[in-house]
Amino acid sequence: MEEEKGTTGSINLSLNGKEEKINLSGQVHHLPCCIKFNGPCTVSQYFKPKLKGMEIDGLAVEEAHFRGRKLQGTTISLPNGYAGFVLAKNNSGKRKAYDVSEGNSNDWEMKAKFDKLTYWNHDTPPSKDDPFLRSFHWFTVTEANFFPPYFENPLLQLHKQVKAEDLATIDAALA
Amino acid sequence: MGSETPLPKWASTPCIMGIDEAGRGPVLGPMVYGCLYCARSYQKTLATLNFADSKTLKEEKREELFENLKADESIGWSVDVIDPRELSAKMLKKNKVNLNEISHDSAIGLINRVLNMGVLLTEILLEYSDQSKGITRLMKENGGLVYLDTVGDADKYRIKLSERFPSIKFVVAKKADSLYPVVSGASIVAKVTRDRALREWVLEETSENMHRSFGSGYPGDPETKAWLAHHKHSIFGFPTLVRFSWGTCTSYYKDMAEVLWESDKVDEDVGYGSSGKQLKLSNVGFGKAAKRKIEEIESSGKGRCKFFHSRKLEQLTHF
Repeated sequence: MEEEKGTTGSINLSLNGKEEKINLSGQVHHLPCCIKFNGPCTVSQYFKPKLKGMEIDGLAVEEAHFRGRKLQGTTISLPNGYAGFVLAKNNSGKRKAYDVSEGNSNDWEMKAKFDKLTYWNHDTPPSKDDPFLRSFHWFTVTEANFFPPYFENPLLQLHKQVKAEDLATIDAALA
Repeated sequence: MGSETPLPKWASTPCIMGIDEAGRGPVLGPMVYGCLYCARSYQKTLATLNFADSKTLKEEKREELFENLKADESIGWSVDVIDPRELSAKMLKKNKVNLNEISHDSAIGLINRVLNMGVLLTEILLEYSDQSKGITRLMKENGGLVYLDTVGDADKYRIKLSERFPSIKFVVAKKADSLYPVVSGASIVAKVTRDRALREWVLEETSENMHRSFGSGYPGDPETKAWLAHHKHSIFGFPTLVRFSWGTCTSYYKDMAEVLWESDKVDEDVGYGSSGKQLKLSNVGFGKAAKRKIEEIESSGKGRCKFFHSRKLEQLTHF
């Protein structure tokens, strides 16, 4: 169909015979830049975050340097019920799908999992107003709106689910 | 770091102070600002101590003179060691701070430190009154005096300092480190501190195959060049000992993974002079192409309702 622009594919989150999943919690860093490189790198030898011993909005501030720039960040737990995954394209099915053009191969496999990550700002200390943290508001909204038990009366449930502080920022954003 | 308290008695008499820097040019290691002060009355003796511009002295001679002045109870000194991480970070901030500003701030910091210790650097105002003629006026006695080697335009620098410290008289001059013994002394304090800091530098990085033969740190020094070439890293660039904001580093970036920063986009739009260095650093192209690139790397939530836009949430149909 013409209007359907998305692709279909699969994401395999099973362990696939691996003994246990690799947990990358505490080793995932979200940087305020784009590094045009994909692949392994000796991160821990060069990237040395240090706790600053201070808190902003209840977030423990960390400091690190990358390519000469000072980064300030904080380590956060992903919201309850959510997890982070490192996915890689599934290679095993590649030969079979050889006749399909490369871009359409869209089968993914879980390589590692994390429930914590550190996000970094350039120059500015972390705060609850950072877009990255605020993007989690979306979880609250979707839960309130779309989860089946709440379908009967989404509006009512919205008020139950969304914390007052979240609502205030949502109101401000919609205004 | 500096001479220890308690404050000697002479410090309450008018004093002179010299301020000078070491390690401004090198591509690696800290930049050090040093000051040396003594009573005005000690000035003549100071001139006999063979202080000379630290650059003209051999290393052993500098070390010897530094030990001598440390032992001299009529001399006080202090240093400000500016970490290369701090130099890079300030010069690559979203709102860049240039090296002259960093230098000025360091000198100002030293003056404040010495003033707070209670050293008399300010001018003294004496009330002069002649009752028979019925006049009263304020006269300036020979008070403190602060000498500095200039950074940037000497007049502008002096005016900046005078605005900051209205009661201090400043002498800002080119080659002050060879003209005034008190500045020569400060240059020795700074240079010896810088050399020691570099010699004792503990590399933060824990990669194997790293060594500490930095050379002088000057971009033209073959040993420094060899060290840079050996320690470049395709992702991290260099160890944090290196000043990433230095033009010297740029020539190595072509061998490294390209890194695009959100803050470079701001530069792009503003387009003021000092942005040139930073753009080269990350190899961002110019004009529209660069803007497109930034949009590629950053989720913007553009075109969506405000809720998504302010959270930079983009809808993803392909990944």
